[in-house]
Amino acid sequence: MLKKTLATAVLLSAASSFIAEAATLEDVEASFYPYKDTVPTFEGLSTGMTINSGNVEQFAEILDPAVYQMLKDGWFEMKVGDTTSFDLHPNYVEATRKGLGQVALGDELGQINGFVAGRPFPEEPDMSDPRAGEKLAWNYKYGYNWGDNAAIYPFYWRYRDMDSGKVERTIKFNFHFLNYMHRVNQEPVPQFADNPSELFRAIYVQVLEPFDVKNTQLLIHRAEDDLKRDNTWLYLGFQRRVRRLSSGQITDSFLGADIMIEDFEGYNGRISDMNWTYKGTKNIMLPFFNHNDMDLATDLVESDGYQFVDFGGKGGCYPNITWQLRKVYVLESDPKDDNHPISKRTHFVDAQTFTLPRTLIYDRKGDLWKSWLIGQAHPDHHLEKNKGTGVAIDDAFSMVDVQAGHCTTGQFKGQVDPELNPVKIFTVQNMRSKGR
Amino acid sequence: MTNIKKLLTIGVCTASAALASGVGMAQESGWDTAGFVENATFYRDGRGLSKSRNTAQFEFSKDFGKRMGMNNFRLSGTLRATYDAVYDLNEDEFGKKAGGPRSFENFGSTTAQALFGGDGSSPWGFSILGNGGAAAGNPIPPGFLFDVGSNPNDGLAVLGEEFHDPRGGVTIGVPLRPCDTDSRGCGLEDYMDWDLNELRFPDFNDHLDFIRELYIEGSVATGDTSELFLRIGKQQVVWGRTDLFRVLDIINPVDFARHNIYDELEDIRIPQWIASAEFRWGAVGAFDDLNLQFVWNFDEFRPNNLGQGGSPYSILDAGSFFRAMNNCWENGCTVSNFVPAAAIGLDDPGLIAADFAPNVIGIRQVDLPEWKLSNTQGGVKLEGVYKDVGFSLNYYHFFQQLPVLRGDIESVNAFTGEVADWDHLIAFDINFPEVDLLGGSLDLYVDSLKSVVRVEAAYTQGEEFANTLEADLYSDSDVFRWVLGVDRNTFIPFLNKKRAFLISGQIFGEHLLDHELEQAALGPVGIPNWKDNYIATLLIKGWYKSDTISPQVIMAWDYEAGAGTIAPSVDWLINDNWRLIAGFNIKVGDGMGDQEFDDCRACNPFPPFTATPAHADPFQSGSVGLGGIEPLGRFRSGPLGSASEEDEFQVTLRYRF
Repeated sequence: MLKKTLATAVLLSAASSFIAEAATLEDVEASFYPYKDTVPTFEGLSTGMTINSGNVEQFAEILDPAVYQMLKDGWFEMKVGDTTSFDLHPNYVEATRKGLGQVALGDELGQINGFVAGRPFPEEPDMSDPRAGEKLAWNYKYGYNWGDNAAIYPFYWRYRDMDSGKVERTIKFNFHFLNYMHRVNQEPVPQFADNPSELFRAIYVQVLEPFDVKNTQLLIHRAEDDLKRDNTWLYLGFQRRVRRLSSGQITDSFLGADIMIEDFEGYNGRISDMNWTYKGTKNIMLPFFNHNDMDLATDLVESDGYQFVDFGGKGGCYPNITWQLRKVYVLESDPKDDNHPISKRTHFVDAQTFTLPRTLIYDRKGDLWKSWLIGQAHPDHHLEKNKGTGVAIDDAFSMVDVQAGHCTTGQFKGQVDPELNPVKIFTVQNMRSKGR
Repeated sequence: MTNIKKLLTIGVCTASAALASGVGMAQESGWDTAGFVENATFYRDGRGLSKSRNTAQFEFSKDFGKRMGMNNFRLSGTLRATYDAVYDLNEDEFGKKAGGPRSFENFGSTTAQALFGGDGSSPWGFSILGNGGAAAGNPIPPGFLFDVGSNPNDGLAVLGEEFHDPRGGVTIGVPLRPCDTDSRGCGLEDYMDWDLNELRFPDFNDHLDFIRELYIEGSVATGDTSELFLRIGKQQVVWGRTDLFRVLDIINPVDFARHNIYDELEDIRIPQWIASAEFRWGAVGAFDDLNLQFVWNFDEFRPNNLGQGGSPYSILDAGSFFRAMNNCWENGCTVSNFVPAAAIGLDDPGLIAADFAPNVIGIRQVDLPEWKLSNTQGGVKLEGVYKDVGFSLNYYHFFQQLPVLRGDIESVNAFTGEVADWDHLIAFDINFPEVDLLGGSLDLYVDSLKSVVRVEAAYTQGEEFANTLEADLYSDSDVFRWVLGVDRNTFIPFLNKKRAFLISGQIFGEHLLDHELEQAALGPVGIPNWKDNYIATLLIKGWYKSDTISPQVIMAWDYEAGAGTIAPSVDWLINDNWRLIAGFNIKVGDGMGDQEFDDCRACNPFPPFTATPAHADPFQSGSVGLGGIEPLGRFRSGPLGSASEEDEFQVTLRYRF
């Protein structure tokens, strides 16, 4: 622990001597529209082809290590799609422009000054900047993500044995997200007036099925002050009681899944909980696709005809989607808490959207433990209501525990719809009333 | 079932039918339904099968969208049907053939030894001071004779026989069989008077308990982020933040007969007809969340269900005691070791049993508060979140859910036949006094401990307790109760490297502010409950195989009783439908037999006839403290110690749909 603290102190000290060049409007354009003039290419890679165990070596350079190994082992095959631009909402881009030159890191990890809305640090990360990783983390935290609010409504999780392919559990959720601050699109902008604890964001989760966990609810309040701990509550249906969660439950399996609460959306914690290291920029294959163009699942059709992403590959752990070659920032985060169950995460941050479509999670010994995939669907090729929202829609996930041979998959019906996310549902009291 | 409840049931059902007809629907959802069927089979050491409970439960709800000026108008209900086959499968212990003839101790009595042989115990209804003496031609006062023909020596147990020997103390005969088989001790109207079918099918009774819940609810927007939430119907209203033991969670009474304190409160709260209104301001002022809830329990008062004499779960064994005492009142009874043999002129150093005639001692009746507006219960709760601390302030006015025995009734002087309200006589009515509760709770996360801390506290006025110092053998006391709980998720690497264990500890404290206890000539006299007591609970729970296998151990320890419970179990979620739970419930430490208290044998209720040499004034009633295990030792043993002989192996199989 002392070593980590010292390392952090040294890092921050070094950072203070780094003079970052102020971001420019050109930086903003490059950050949000990297594929405006050209898209990345790789020798031998073409739209419509499939990467599999037979040709994976040829593409090792544009694959993250876990995907490379899983392709090599024949656990799934990767269909290649066009690289497409996922333009974020223009209001978010405009907010970034307005904030240019006004945002700076504070002295401590987890502090930021002058931020109002948009992307805090649109400039390209610099390997010589010791706090470049931290800036990328802030860009993720304040990313457009689900926009000002959204719901995954419903959201199916399936627990699968990779060897047998057996689906052990199917859990049906509703997820709701709401930004209290740094809003750019929906009133109130930029923030709610009644926000005494200065919350930045809230996540509300309700379990609909199966019966043993039905009415379980989760509420996360994340403060604007990153140094403040999240407040997290769990309502257990069989107890009819709201229980506050300890941090140990945030970094533990959520309802038996291969996912911990801290894994939500790629990383669901504080900036100040991790040390962040920028490891470079590269082009790799990421799960970005057009939902409506995929061969979708036929077993969970919604009443409005919506179909979820289908899964296949080993154990049914891999979404049947297309991947595209995209620019990523490789970002490492290692927990400051020595008792954290993992040693580090390697995030492959999509440079355009600042989503985390690929994350590799390493156990305390440093061995790869889990491979975390969150497929991103273009909003203009999804539900009608999502068109034009400028949100990269989280549309399918797969968390593969490579050590246990187990996975949890997720099938989303993401809806960018403020009607589904009134502020009053993000309260402890709402959990009690929803929970019978 | 009262008329008002019938009307309400009809009203809620009619409302739901009207809503389902689809008039003015907006954002209406489909019916949300779920349910399960379950068999819970428990095996008790020494008794055999103690539970073979088959349950079917069906839950339904429907959101009708905007209706009657309210948003999210919803109808919800839960129906439950239970059949406990233990009364058929183990009828020798808990059913129609339970119990048998019993004899009652005459401790150290040479006369009894000579008369009855063996250990000197005398059969029910054949005591030396009673029918036995009369048969031998001795003059027996009229208050010591009862009709053994109508109150026979059969179907009985000796009070506490599962837990302890009499050891020179008083014991009474307890009729065990269901009330339609043996009506003795079933004379308390609507209280512990179940027949076989009511025991087999506990949900199907006059209160329509098979309707676990049936309510409608909706909200009215009062601002952008605030609303008024209304709910009315049969429901559970849950206050507080604790498990197993209740401090603030007192709105619904509890059915301890289902499985003592060990079932989830969700399953054993007795739903009541309640209206609640909640102003939800959301984030306002300095509060992240602020709500004000008014609760009006307009249902007929129902006490906690403590079980019945002869049923497998009778917390504190109170059901046995009450049934025995009601039989004493109505039919007479034999009480062991009640009188020094010398008191009736025998040259005998021992104690002898007595056969009491009806209407001398016992429990005459239960005074359940009848339904009327002034007998309805209600309260208010202010709850919110302030600076990361969840808090509540609570006030509730209610009737005590545990019974109290008030000895201020008229009864027959066993020696003179005079009818009067005799001081210090163990002749009672059961009452449920009115209580005011003022309390609060809070929870917060303590980062330095990586733990969540929960606190509850409640101060009550009006609770009543047994008190042998008082002429009517009860008194009231203000009570302060509190609980401190700590929850922490902790990795125990040698047990599971990938998943943390939940460790949850709680300490409950209870302090009787008006506790009375004095040392009399032969022992302590006063309130049997401890002035200060503490119960600690500890839960350690782990998860394996994607949480489909979850071992846990629950431990509880009653500090003053010196008694505890260890309940290890494994919960196996076979798939989304099937679930199997297997476990043990083992009692440790002292049992009921290790606690004694003044039993009022030496209360001199019929002075001077019942005066002892320890009574300075033989014409003055009052206890001199002669004690035994029964009947008040149970209050010192508490719910853990008084179940000391209930070690069980338990298997529950559930299918969900």
